[in-house]
Amino acid sequence: MPTNKKLFKDNLLKNNPVFAQILGICSTLAVTNSLKNTVVMSAGLIFVLSLSNVIISMIRKKIPSKIRMMVEVLVIASLVIIVDIILKAYLPVISRKLGPYVGLIITNCIIMGRAEAFAITNKPGKSFIDGFSSALGYSYVLLVIAFFRELLGSGEIWGVRVLGDWWINWSFMVMAGGAFFMLAIFIWVVKGLFIQVEEEGSA
Amino acid sequence: MNEKDRKSRKIKDGLYTIFFMFFITVVFISIISFIYVKTRSKIKLNEQLKLKRAILFAGNIEYDNSNENDILDKYSKYVKEIEVENADNYFEIYKDGAKSGYVFLVTGPGLWGKIDTAIGFKQDLKTMTGIEFLKQNETPGLGARITETWFKEQFENKVAPIEKAVGENKEAGIKEFNAITGATSSSKAVMKIINKSAKNVKKRYDLMEEE
Amino acid sequence: MNFLSAFAIFFAAIFTDNILLTKYLGMCSFLAVSRKVETSWGLGLAVTFVMTFTSAINWVVYNYLLKPRDLEYLRYIIFIVIIAAFVQIVEMIIERVSDVLYASLGIFLPLITVNCSILGVSLFMVIRDYSLINSIAFGLGSGIGWMLAILAMSGIREKMKRSQIPNGLEGAGIALIIAGIMAMAFMGFSGILTLS
Repeated sequence: MPTNKKLFKDNLLKNNPVFAQILGICSTLAVTNSLKNTVVMSAGLIFVLSLSNVIISMIRKKIPSKIRMMVEVLVIASLVIIVDIILKAYLPVISRKLGPYVGLIITNCIIMGRAEAFAITNKPGKSFIDGFSSALGYSYVLLVIAFFRELLGSGEIWGVRVLGDWWINWSFMVMAGGAFFMLAIFIWVVKGLFIQVEEEGSA
Repeated sequence: MNEKDRKSRKIKDGLYTIFFMFFITVVFISIISFIYVKTRSKIKLNEQLKLKRAILFAGNIEYDNSNENDILDKYSKYVKEIEVENADNYFEIYKDGAKSGYVFLVTGPGLWGKIDTAIGFKQDLKTMTGIEFLKQNETPGLGARITETWFKEQFENKVAPIEKAVGENKEAGIKEFNAITGATSSSKAVMKIINKSAKNVKKRYDLMEEE
Repeated sequence: MNFLSAFAIFFAAIFTDNILLTKYLGMCSFLAVSRKVETSWGLGLAVTFVMTFTSAINWVVYNYLLKPRDLEYLRYIIFIVIIAAFVQIVEMIIERVSDVLYASLGIFLPLITVNCSILGVSLFMVIRDYSLINSIAFGLGSGIGWMLAILAMSGIREKMKRSQIPNGLEGAGIALIIAGIMAMAFMGFSGILTLS
């Protein structure tokens, strides 16, 4: 059983849900054309993943095996509803911009994935760290992508125009194709770095 | 374990499963409902504020966006809602005590779905005072840019019916407007909504145009 | 007039508003399964079937049960429970009725429950305030659009088995680039139809 620190670090790098397991990029790529929206989305994700791991871990011994998946979905869906309600009440403009993508956190493969892979067989404390760090690792990938998409696609960062009038927006970055490409490039760069490090390590 | 024990064990397990599912569902739905009830009034207030903000913006009345009280205050001072049977209510704008214009709620088709707008006209029912979007589902980053301030504000003092869309950085006359690059359809949809409303409001609300 | 808009929504859902290539939904199973054309057919058909029916059922439940009682906020749970139940029931029926069908389609069904696109279709239909006919058109079109994307993808990947791919891009990386190019290609369809 890895120490808490190692668990945390691994989930950010080696076992980062996005590059190592290509999990759950689905819905969340949609909001990465704006840095602000991505931050809110990431916050929601960290909240849901950490808490769902904790809750599922706490009741793991009591769940009848037949309905295991249903219970997991129920916990996750409930947490997402709570996030949705709170957004609607306190950040209504962003809630509207995020649209259905908040609800789609439920089907985000990472959360179910961590629940099945970790929370159901580990103690709440460790499960929390696992959930929190996985969500964090996932979030920073999203944030990097969002940074480039917003910058190149609209010349802005956080809604503030940074690039001068000379910059012609790469509208492509704002569209779906741009998101796919950015993620592919990101994975490529990171994997390249890993391979380099491994080769140096074993040399 | 003999047959009888096995059977009763199975029934016990089954019952436990059903009970567990029921119990946990009730627990979670209770928590959610509790949070919902607590925030319901805030959510309703947000909806109201959104509408009031839109009316003020379309009616070209200045307000402090970050100050909720200012919005409510300005609204009660300058706007009068007129009830209409069988149609959306409309709004009269008063400046310095006298009626200066109207704001209408108009819905029209966009590229991906309906666009709900609030459009403001002066007394002549032709010259616009402003436009605000209440709900739209256009393409994020493209069509959805119709909600950007520059796009909305350009309509101040334009005269309906708007006839032509020109490029984003060109000069636009009083019957033209700047469309969004890459989002011509959404931009034109807005133009059509404006023209449709100018055409219909006189009859629908039985209003007289005044200079 | 009603049918016209349903047709427009149907075609848009397949091409210009493609649930995978423009709305990013349904990628997990897409990336994992799309290596062989055969499996993609099976998954695509299953997804289309479930999508169409669940969007209809969810529409009815949302508009007749949830909305009148001010319970819209529970839609996430209700929708996903309905989807899971529907998939369960269909799987059981197929298993009893036809071995052949079960062998080719049945195995995909559990995979579908957590497919974001199915829940996504129901959520979008609520946000866009579609009528029942439009929702069914939307569900059917989205399913076909998803299937189209996954078929094209697996076809391309099968062909690419012989190509050389840079180390870092193997697997997900190249799949994403293909998805990006396909998204661009599908963008070319926009302008064919306009809703009016």
